[in-house]
Amino acid sequence: MTSVPPNQPATAASGEIKSARNHFRLAVGVCLGAAGGTLCAMALGSSAAHGAVAGAFYGLVFVLLFAERCSSPGAGLMWGLAYALLLWMIFPAGIFPWVAGVRRGMPMLEEVRLSFPALAGYLMTFGLPLGVVLGLMGILRPQPGRKEFHPWRAISGGGLGGVIAAWIFEAWMSQGGFYPLLGGLVENQAGARGVGLHFLVAVAIGASFGLLFQRDIFGYGSSLGWGMAYGILWWFLGPMTLIPLAFGLPLDWSSDHASDLFGSLVGYILYGVIVGIAYAMADRLWVRLFVESDPINREPEGPGLRTLRSLGWGAVAGLAGGAVSAPILIASGVVSKIAGLQGGFSVASGLVLYLVGSAAIGMSYGLLFRNEGLLLGRGISWGWLYGLLWWYAGPLTLLPILRTGEADWRPEAASALLPSLVGHLVYGAVTAFIFVLLERKYSRWLLLDPRNVARESRRTRPEGTSVPALWLFVLGLGVLLPILLG
Amino acid sequence: MPRISRRAGIGTLAGLLASVALVLTVKSVPAPLLVLLGAGIGAFLVIVSHRERMGYVDNLMASAAMGVPLWAVFSLVVFPFFSAWSMEWSADAVRGHFPELVGWVGFRAVLGLALQGLSALADRVLGPEPEAAEAAMPKKRRVVILGGGFAGMQTAASLEHELRGDPSVSITLVSETNALLFTPMLAEVAGSSLEPGHISTPLRTSVRSAAFVRGRVQSVVLEKRCVLLEPEAAPGQAPEAPRALEFDHLVLALGAVSNFHGMENIEKQSFNFKSLLDAIRIRNHVIEMFERADREKDRATRRGLLTFVVAGGGFAGVELAGALNDFSRGILADYPNLQSEDLNIVLVHSRDTILPELSASLGEYARRSMEARGVTFKLNTRLLDARPGTVVLSDGELPAATLVWTAGVAPNPLLATLPYPRDKRGAVIVETTMAVPGAPGIWAVGDCAALNDGKTGKPCPPTAQFALREANTLARNIKASLAGKPLKPFHFDSLGALCVVGHQTACAELTVPFARQKSMRFSGLLAWLMWRGIYLGKLPGIERKVRVLLDWTIELFFPKDVVQTIDLA
Repeated sequence: MTSVPPNQPATAASGEIKSARNHFRLAVGVCLGAAGGTLCAMALGSSAAHGAVAGAFYGLVFVLLFAERCSSPGAGLMWGLAYALLLWMIFPAGIFPWVAGVRRGMPMLEEVRLSFPALAGYLMTFGLPLGVVLGLMGILRPQPGRKEFHPWRAISGGGLGGVIAAWIFEAWMSQGGFYPLLGGLVENQAGARGVGLHFLVAVAIGASFGLLFQRDIFGYGSSLGWGMAYGILWWFLGPMTLIPLAFGLPLDWSSDHASDLFGSLVGYILYGVIVGIAYAMADRLWVRLFVESDPINREPEGPGLRTLRSLGWGAVAGLAGGAVSAPILIASGVVSKIAGLQGGFSVASGLVLYLVGSAAIGMSYGLLFRNEGLLLGRGISWGWLYGLLWWYAGPLTLLPILRTGEADWRPEAASALLPSLVGHLVYGAVTAFIFVLLERKYSRWLLLDPRNVARESRRTRPEGTSVPALWLFVLGLGVLLPILLG
Repeated sequence: MPRISRRAGIGTLAGLLASVALVLTVKSVPAPLLVLLGAGIGAFLVIVSHRERMGYVDNLMASAAMGVPLWAVFSLVVFPFFSAWSMEWSADAVRGHFPELVGWVGFRAVLGLALQGLSALADRVLGPEPEAAEAAMPKKRRVVILGGGFAGMQTAASLEHELRGDPSVSITLVSETNALLFTPMLAEVAGSSLEPGHISTPLRTSVRSAAFVRGRVQSVVLEKRCVLLEPEAAPGQAPEAPRALEFDHLVLALGAVSNFHGMENIEKQSFNFKSLLDAIRIRNHVIEMFERADREKDRATRRGLLTFVVAGGGFAGVELAGALNDFSRGILADYPNLQSEDLNIVLVHSRDTILPELSASLGEYARRSMEARGVTFKLNTRLLDARPGTVVLSDGELPAATLVWTAGVAPNPLLATLPYPRDKRGAVIVETTMAVPGAPGIWAVGDCAALNDGKTGKPCPPTAQFALREANTLARNIKASLAGKPLKPFHFDSLGALCVVGHQTACAELTVPFARQKSMRFSGLLAWLMWRGIYLGKLPGIERKVRVLLDWTIELFFPKDVVQTIDLA
């Protein structure tokens, strides 16, 4: 007589539950995909039936590949958006022009520009709903080892981040005459109403940022990355989609319309970055005051010491990044623009200023990304992203502000600065590479202490987080959009 | 198959597969070169990168994302540069390369998937990836450092850095206390300027790979090459057997103890001034004397209670006398029944000038400054005996309830139990490399070593400044000895010396850089600022620096308190 293991019935029952859950997920994915495909087809003026079939297929594939990754609405959203972008790059931007025989530079670009509405459609009708809904379902799924979620901390930290970002952007909103526009949403074009609405929306965006991404954010750097992604998403969601709908206007996802809104894209990206950093600051302050201050949670090495070291490594890394990227930025004219700040035209003085700035930005990299672990590949990925951010924040924003008092977010300005984008990416990658090397060199000694090994393992992101999706979404769109819309 | 060959093979194959995307989209470079480039990138990535546990979809997304910067680097910089020796720096040129962007994203996406798929296939077919061949672990060598003062702690820290986690060597630091005391600031603790804990750094948090053992050394058994630690017994329990620590290399860094030259009465009646507890006791005792004097009606008795004698006119004695003078005169305000005439701080010194380590002029300056602030000097005077309430000097008796001894130190008495030649002080005579002659693996450093400079041949003074440098050289020599390499002699030119003599007043004699025979002298406020700046910089740990800086700042705005923190009864 064979004995029955005591856990067999439970295992069988949990297997059945799992199977039922998988089937339900597939059904939801197919239905949402079909609905999204229909909506997208209607918005683009193509066949709704074709859209529904293609959408159902896309939804099915997303569930099969990414459903397990959608552990929360935030993670699901990021996987969904990256999936939509990848689909668009494979089909409308890759295979379709290729099959149509349009394979050379500018003609292919023009063809892809015509497919820009599909990009917005994919993001808004497939990626966003599929990711969020499957993420919501993911919350209900048992996930051992999942980080604890603190909703009030997310709402208060995110809300505060939103208010800070809104306050910083107040001058730009005012200059651009956006307050009457916002006031118009509540059928009152008074500036005060616009200001109120601006802050209300900012609080909502910030709080939703905290609610969506609290579990994914490890420190300032990752929060900044998620902020960039959230900014790009809100550009598609706000001025490209919701605002026209709120005013009863037809949806216009064309590249020409998007090009008209390019300035606001830069604004949304920087807004997202500020929300991300402000949220991380508020959240870290909370953690420092109420969690890490508890002696039970004490780390072997005090936070102040690590911060000072990170600043030093960041300065060295930034200097190296500046030195490597300098030839590209000299050739693309950015260094001579920096030289113009001094009132002279010497490239040498511009180069010195550029290197000093590089060291300072490297220090900020050290400060922001010191909690992102010691893996070289991941470090460099964050470095590319940081370099991209500084293309938007540097020559497009800060440099014009220092020279003329106003940011230059025109598509033509971005277009003229496209070559320097390479230099910024290289700067970010080299800075991150050197920083991780220096941090690893120090940590080799530090990690001799088993307490620090435990801390380091806590800093390393586990398998399955949405960081890869974030990198693709931000790097992909951050580079693609200026090329397509400039 | 070696790991690197296996990885290179997988990377090359994956790169070849993925390069199809490049061949289809990049038209400015010949296809064979693109295939080679793809294979090279694949091999490079898989060899240099850490093999992370990631799913296929994670790899797909992460790899696809990296296609964007690769496009920027190769299509916009590398390819144009090598095809036309120029770069295309216009927006149109960048846009002209758009198809290649799709190609690079596709290349990296396929490469990511292929790398993971082929690695998994190789694991299944060839078995798990072989670990890097580990060298046969040699017998673990044990370095035991006795003493957690400047020399011992620095030797441990420096050795950790030198060995960089070498698993074949273990380091053990043994100390009677669990903290490194920053002795230059000890007088400020006695003078109530600094909190006691702020000048001590925990040894446990100062070492990483070294093991720390708190214990008192009972003996060193050279034949068995082991150190016996005194057993520690809980109250009411029988002591355990002594704990033995075996060693291959032994560092004698036990520091020094007060030397009373056999005067037992003085040893019984006086306070030591070597440890943190000594400083705390002195401070509390001073307050106790003030409390007693405050209710004492007899003037002579009151004066005896408020007479504090410091024996020894070296750095420790002078700094302590200055600190006690400031502290005592400061708290007089809290004792309305006491007058400043009742108070007497006496410094007894056997020579005619104090601070013999400094130039005579600075010694004279220190004496005059301290006298002006109320300190009494008894120079060319010897301390002969001490009884309760009385100190016997070579020129007569002095009623005094307090005597602090700083007039002599000697190396740790444990050295006397070892069969090694010692100098007059009692320190072990070592070679210029700090190795004990004829005793392989035995080293002495700091106060325990009678060491001559390897370059000048002059004896090295038993100061913290020298001990720290000796420890660094010793760590390098132990490492060299472990590796069978030649040892280096110790050489260090003194940087100078500083001494605080009272409120915002100090003397400093610093060596002129690159002209080691010359020195510069400073005194007064500037020297005091130098003292604070230099020693704050030397104080180990940022946290300690901040705490001390706060103490100093608070002292500027608030009076020193008269709270007794320990019961001296």
